[in-house]
Amino acid sequence: MKNHQNQLQYNQNIQSITVSLDGTIIDTDTNLFSWKSGTSIYDAHPFFEILKSFIEDDDPNNAEFNLPCIHFENDGDERICDVSIQIDSKQVLITFFDYSDKYIELNGIAQQRNESILITKELELKNQYLLEKEEFKNSFIANINHEIRTPLTSILGFIEVLQKTSLSFEQEELARIIQRDSQHLHALIDDMIDISKIESGKLKIVEERFTFSDLVDGLHESYSKIAEERGIRFETYVDPNIQEYLIGDRMRVYQILNNLLNNAFKFTEEGKIGLSITKNYQRTNKLSINFKIEDTGMGILEEHLDQIFDRFTRFSKDLQISGTGLGLAIVKSLVDKLNGEIKVESEPEKGTTFNIKLPFKFEVTKPTPERKKKKYTLPETKKRFRVLLVEDEETTQYLVMKILITHGSFYVDLAINGEEAIKAIERRNYDLVLMDLRMSKVDGYQATHMIRNNYGDEVISKVPIIGFTANTNETERDKCFRAGMDDFITKPFKREELIYKITKQIAKKAAD
Amino acid sequence: MKLSKKVVLLGHFGVGKTSLFRRFIENEFSEEYKVTLGVQIKKKVIQLPDGRELSMIIWDTEGHSNSVEDTRKSYLLGSHAFIYVFDLTREDTYKNLNQDLAYLKETYNKVIIKTIGNKVDLVSEKIAVKNLKELNIPFDCLTSAKTNKNVKNFFLDLAEEITK
Repeated sequence: MKNHQNQLQYNQNIQSITVSLDGTIIDTDTNLFSWKSGTSIYDAHPFFEILKSFIEDDDPNNAEFNLPCIHFENDGDERICDVSIQIDSKQVLITFFDYSDKYIELNGIAQQRNESILITKELELKNQYLLEKEEFKNSFIANINHEIRTPLTSILGFIEVLQKTSLSFEQEELARIIQRDSQHLHALIDDMIDISKIESGKLKIVEERFTFSDLVDGLHESYSKIAEERGIRFETYVDPNIQEYLIGDRMRVYQILNNLLNNAFKFTEEGKIGLSITKNYQRTNKLSINFKIEDTGMGILEEHLDQIFDRFTRFSKDLQISGTGLGLAIVKSLVDKLNGEIKVESEPEKGTTFNIKLPFKFEVTKPTPERKKKKYTLPETKKRFRVLLVEDEETTQYLVMKILITHGSFYVDLAINGEEAIKAIERRNYDLVLMDLRMSKVDGYQATHMIRNNYGDEVISKVPIIGFTANTNETERDKCFRAGMDDFITKPFKREELIYKITKQIAKKAAD
Repeated sequence: MKLSKKVVLLGHFGVGKTSLFRRFIENEFSEEYKVTLGVQIKKKVIQLPDGRELSMIIWDTEGHSNSVEDTRKSYLLGSHAFIYVFDLTREDTYKNLNQDLAYLKETYNKVIIKTIGNKVDLVSEKIAVKNLKELNIPFDCLTSAKTNKNVKNFFLDLAEEITK
């Protein structure tokens, strides 16, 4: 009661109701609610149903209940009250303290606090959803990549086989067109994979030591031939002060220059294309190199220059000029990834110049010459070596068999999955296994693991195994080596590459 | 004789207690989140299969931030059923469910307790069920106040159970 008296002193918005034990209102004022004497409190508001249990369950001589912050609707308005209920043997005294203003203020604070927590959670959820979508997209691209590369392997491989046969002039020309377009498709898939890797942050930059002149010579050799065919001059200049051996991502630098040169050749019909490479500066073991690629091609309108590095941007309406609109986007992303800079200047009908600055490192101590790609030859112990090809895809089976059998140094047996491969290996000794990775029943990893671990016979457990797949990602490559494979070939492959890797593994095994 | 039973909605804030309350009583839903301070109480008269009429008095309580023990005890007095609502999209609203249920069972041993995973429209039901099973989270029903999925049936089943 004392508590109530204190509250009464500070609050004018109070109403008291006296109710009989059967729920009839005996006495009330109408300060807050217009409930009338003689009516049932149970009809006034569902809140009062609680009285029944209080009256039934508690000692009526000494029961007091306080229920704060109860919402009551009153003629369309809402009042938020603290309610005190006192029960004795004859009646119930209910007192309402209207704290609507205070509670509305508190409500605003709680609303803000809860909303900010819920928004954070919602953002987390959206983020998770986007990540899942991204993962789905990447896995979709990876799968499509696999599915396209497998038939492409056959097309490119059989074209190579076909070109080695006797063909008429017309057949040769048709084979050349198929080869060119298949190579274009191959480049397109590579672009798609690169964009996907860049977007998902999975593109890894590696630092390796490489011979800088080899990189430039490779480009010079490829594009000089094209220039000659097209009647365009192609000039390269390399600053003699640039170190012979550099440390950087050789493959990505090559990809950037190759992409820009490819573009320059696409859009230049006459005049010249130049590749000029100069040293910007050198400090301790670091140097910055400027690559300038200029052409006298059709050029780019000034208003288009801002969008030149956007994805799927093509300004040329000439449908004869092939392209995905991804090339320059990839170049820009790669330059950014390498912490470099790229700038473009262009004038319509006069030509375009790309300036790229890329950082490299070099070894301060006197460099040792880089090891050249070692030549391997098949041992002379046998006339022919027995290879087990584990592959479920019919055209790839045929292509590999055709390449190896026509080479003349190999017998080829076939298994269509890991389970069959294990059976074959138990029946016969092999010099090498070419193991596809994705197969039904037992896949390539499992089969390799079993070969490496389940046999005491070293002829079986140490047989060279080369992984053979259409997947190009580093994870797959790592998985191959972890499973115990000796090497890895990506589809589509070149005949020479296949023969080289097989020869290398057989020669290494023989040397052991 | 008129049957009257008190049912209390419990759970973390923002899980959709008020939305379930409004969906069942008024068949309305709003995307706008409005915090509940204290408690709001409404009645729904339900026709039971045996012909009796039940006044279900539903107390929609203010959501808690950590534990159900933070809910004002006075709101729970005289209850016949508790509906513990959690949000299927927010693990923090059900990760302590087992402790909360243990507390409620120990403190209010005569009260029927039901658990609802709400906002099923925002998740894959199959994955949600799998996750809940993996985390050993008990649930009686997955609902969506937004799409009205399972809301009415859940309350009608509860009405039968509390009047047995």
